[in-house]
Amino acid sequence: MSPPGSDPPLLLRREVLTWLALMALLALTAGSAFVPMGMLNLVVNLAIALAKALLVVFMFMHVRRGTPMIRVFALAGLMWLALLAGLSCTDFAVRFG
Amino acid sequence: MSTTAVAPAPARAPGVAEPFRDAAQQADAATLGMWLFLATEMLFFGVLFFVYALARSRLPEAFAAASRQTSVLLGTTNTAVLLTSSFTMATAVRAAQLRRHGAAALLLLVTAVLGIAFAGIKLTEYGLDYRHHLVPVLDFAFDPRLARGALAFFWLYFTTTGLHLVHLTVGVGIALAFAWREWRRRGARLHEQVEIAGLYWHFVDLVWIFLYPCLYLVQRA
Repeated sequence: MSPPGSDPPLLLRREVLTWLALMALLALTAGSAFVPMGMLNLVVNLAIALAKALLVVFMFMHVRRGTPMIRVFALAGLMWLALLAGLSCTDFAVRFG
Repeated sequence: MSTTAVAPAPARAPGVAEPFRDAAQQADAATLGMWLFLATEMLFFGVLFFVYALARSRLPEAFAAASRQTSVLLGTTNTAVLLTSSFTMATAVRAAQLRRHGAAALLLLVTAVLGIAFAGIKLTEYGLDYRHHLVPVLDFAFDPRLARGALAFFWLYFTTTGLHLVHLTVGVGIALAFAWREWRRRGARLHEQVEIAGLYWHFVDLVWIFLYPCLYLVQRA
């Protein structure tokens, strides 16, 4: 992107491609929502949201470059959330059937 | 028992605070602190997503009908705006790391402007929602067969997007403050601080990534 010997480029190919991928995924999820697929619509929407989130976390937030402790903290958030949701589901299933 | 001489405290690099050995350790600690905060934020928004999932599983028809009343055009535009702002923020962080202060200041300013555009579009949407009688308490009218579930949907819609908007506003303030500091070259460890501000910004984007299909795309087809 820049001639050799000059400053390192400000725009990285990796980050531009990430942005383009995010835009493509957005177009895909918005478009697919208007195609009647029943329950598959929900699956596609959530899968695309997850894909976008992973792109942001790994490409923009650089979790992989962080220390192992940072990855543990990020995962701990998800684990607590899973515990909270899991136990709440049990409660709702038992009490309200 | 041998006596050990107390070593004189090593001189710290500019911008490295007392408890830290060196700049790298301080940067790791700061990043870790932001991730810890973000973990609590995951729980904060996670609860709302859980309530949403539960209510939607019980009232699927009403949630589909209510979601069709939201503006998919404005919602999709806003998603594009926010995803783009994450890209400009990521590039601002890179500019800060390369010590290109002017570029970093400009990119942080662009990020803040995109955030303000998002807020403007969201507030416009709230205005439309009000005119369509979709605001709980103030003025809510819906097909009586589905009104109960639709009311739940719009309570969640305003709570989640409202809390997201508060987070975004804080992010805009942070982005503007760092744009100013980059412009004036204030602070010895500015690039590390900008990187942490970036983490927060990306998290706000992450919340919206999940809100968007949950609120706007429930059952359009």
